[in-house]
Amino acid sequence: MTPRILVVDDDQALAEMIGIVLRSEGYEPEFSADGNDAVDAFHGTKPDLVLLDVMLPGIDGIEVCKRIRAESGTPIIMLTAKGDTADVVAGLENGADDYVVKPFNPKELVARIKTRLRPTAGDATVLHVGDLTVDVAGHEVRRGDAVIALTPLEFDLLRALAEKPNQVFTREMLLEQVWGYHYKADTRLVNVHVQRLRAKIEHDPDNPRIVTTVRGVGYRAGGA
Amino acid sequence: MPGTATGRATLGRYRRRLRRWVRRGWHAVAYLWRRSLMFRSVAITVMTTGLAVAIIGTAVMISISNNVYAQRREQIEAESARATIVAQGIFDAATAGEDNNQTELETLQSEAQQAIQSNTTSPGGTSIAIERTPGQSSPQILQTVATQGFPDGVITDELRAEVAKNSGRLSLQPVQLDDDGRREPGLAVGSTLQVPSAGQYELYLVYDLSDAQQTLDFVSQTLSIGGVALIVLIALVTSLVVRLVVLPIRGAAETSRKIAAGRLDERIPVRGVDDIATLARSFNDMADAVSRQITQLAELSRVQQRFVSDVSHELRTPLTTIRLAGDMLYDSRHAFEPSVGRSAELLHTQVERFELLLADLLEISRFDAQAVQLDTEPVVPAALAADIVDEFRPLAERVGSDLQLRTPGGHTTMQLDAKRIRRILRNLVGNAIEHGDGKPVQVVVDSDARSVAIAVRDRGVGMPPEDTARVFDRFWRADPSRKRTIGGTGLGLAISLGDANLHNGRIDVWSRPGAGSTFVLTLPRGDQPAVTSAIPLPELDEPYDGPRAVRQEDD
Repeated sequence: MTPRILVVDDDQALAEMIGIVLRSEGYEPEFSADGNDAVDAFHGTKPDLVLLDVMLPGIDGIEVCKRIRAESGTPIIMLTAKGDTADVVAGLENGADDYVVKPFNPKELVARIKTRLRPTAGDATVLHVGDLTVDVAGHEVRRGDAVIALTPLEFDLLRALAEKPNQVFTREMLLEQVWGYHYKADTRLVNVHVQRLRAKIEHDPDNPRIVTTVRGVGYRAGGA
Repeated sequence: MPGTATGRATLGRYRRRLRRWVRRGWHAVAYLWRRSLMFRSVAITVMTTGLAVAIIGTAVMISISNNVYAQRREQIEAESARATIVAQGIFDAATAGEDNNQTELETLQSEAQQAIQSNTTSPGGTSIAIERTPGQSSPQILQTVATQGFPDGVITDELRAEVAKNSGRLSLQPVQLDDDGRREPGLAVGSTLQVPSAGQYELYLVYDLSDAQQTLDFVSQTLSIGGVALIVLIALVTSLVVRLVVLPIRGAAETSRKIAAGRLDERIPVRGVDDIATLARSFNDMADAVSRQITQLAELSRVQQRFVSDVSHELRTPLTTIRLAGDMLYDSRHAFEPSVGRSAELLHTQVERFELLLADLLEISRFDAQAVQLDTEPVVPAALAADIVDEFRPLAERVGSDLQLRTPGGHTTMQLDAKRIRRILRNLVGNAIEHGDGKPVQVVVDSDARSVAIAVRDRGVGMPPEDTARVFDRFWRADPSRKRTIGGTGLGLAISLGDANLHNGRIDVWSRPGAGSTFVLTLPRGDQPAVTSAIPLPELDEPYDGPRAVRQEDD
């Protein structure tokens, strides 16, 4: 099955060019040029991944991101023209999984997409962390009988931590394992998504028990 | 004796304490003098008035005392003359030609004395003495008589000589009288009496002037009290007047301080139409103008930042498309004819260069708009330098340079923006390799109490001083004709300097044609800007043989 990618960008030439790159890599691109139409297009095309420009006519990319995230865990990669801290953080906090700064090159873009679409290894294990059950094969996290809805990225993050309980992961290790970065990248990606994950799985996100912070080093699953 | 020793010690302590108080008091006065216009004005007024009052008072006192003295003297002269005449009259009347006997003369003498007594009415009391003029012979001799308590000491030989000389006239001499240990002013008057058959006698009258002195003392006391009261009054008036001026000035100072602190809406209240009100109005007008300017500048800066941000977006989107297209072509360049394939290659490299240029331009405009912030984290400078050296080793090997790292210091963590420090070091090391002529390039990290410094030294072509001064200029190139090994935008050092300044740090250069160049990045440990460096550089015209740490190691 060819993965479908929704490209939301108001710049026709860039959208078309991204389309060419995606097709050459074996993806099926769909397009939306307007913030207002983007959510409808998302419903219509049911993409496997969304490439989302921050600056859009109509409602902006960050709002689109928020709306898509409200109903789906589909991976979202922001295309940002600025390395601007505020924009990047706003995007991540509203649910974007990753971001690419313009001008990017094709390899960079494809690498980011591939990481987000890669099938997770199918070893049929069930992990336990705290009072959570992580069903790796079923891509499901349960507390008792209640299923907690995580985005694929949040699931990957929790799984990476839960597979080696009590091992401390540095932000760089998590960037490599979960986001597929092999060089120094933005550690805010990790910080923001750990916060989002905690908001969903912790009883008290301000006093986390499942994903704990090891000061000055990183994070680990399990009690401090 | 232990008691004396203790006493002396206590005394010494008191003296020290007293000296300390005096010193402290003096400092306090000096401080007030410098800081308080009110204090200074009042002090100056009090000092000048004090001087004026003292001069006037003294003049008045001198004039009054002269007057009083002259008056008393006249009175005394008149009295004395009368007394002399009366006494002489008594003696003259008794002489009827025949020789008087001793007893009679003595009776006359006491009569004369009483007559004199009743003729002198001086309030201070008068002492009388009748003495025989020495050096004469006569049939009868009268004994020297004097009233009780006559101050013999005041009748000096000079006075006696004068009386003898001025026979028939009065001789006056001011004297000091002793009154139970107190010295009082007095006046001695001498005259001569002719006593029948006894020869010439001298009459001395000593007047006590203490009553006049008392009057003068009282006057001077009154003058002093009046003077002091006047000075205090003037001090009060001055301080009141100065307050009238100083208080509004202090208000203005306070308001300017608030405005300087950013509260642009602060104004001085204007009351009335006097000079102070004019000052307040002008000040407020100035504040209005300044705050308008500041608002305008802030708006301009905001527009500028907005523009930079827009340019960033607008340029980056088409550039992304070009980049994607160029890379697609580049990836399949082998499928094209050679000339088209080469074009794809050129397109690819130049787009990359264009991208770098754009990124640097945007960074520079962010510095200009002061829209940059440090994103600090704990960094070990020596480790960071080691990373950069490792990163550049392949390039150095390619051009045949030996890239050496020495780290005698810089092993403790500092709060730095690692991204910016890396960018500076990449720039310096890259430049050193490029201009190093294939000779060794040294990177040295050293530190002292105040700073950590990273020196990058090459022994390549170097630069003349006029070029050294320009290396941080934008788009400036030392030698435009030189072939470039690594792509540079011409903005690298300008950005590096901006990054260093953000850290309160500095970059110093030493260079000399043929001897190579040394760039030293200095980062302060505290918040104070780096003034000195852990790796000091000599003046441009002095020779330099590398950082001290390296020289020692080489020895």
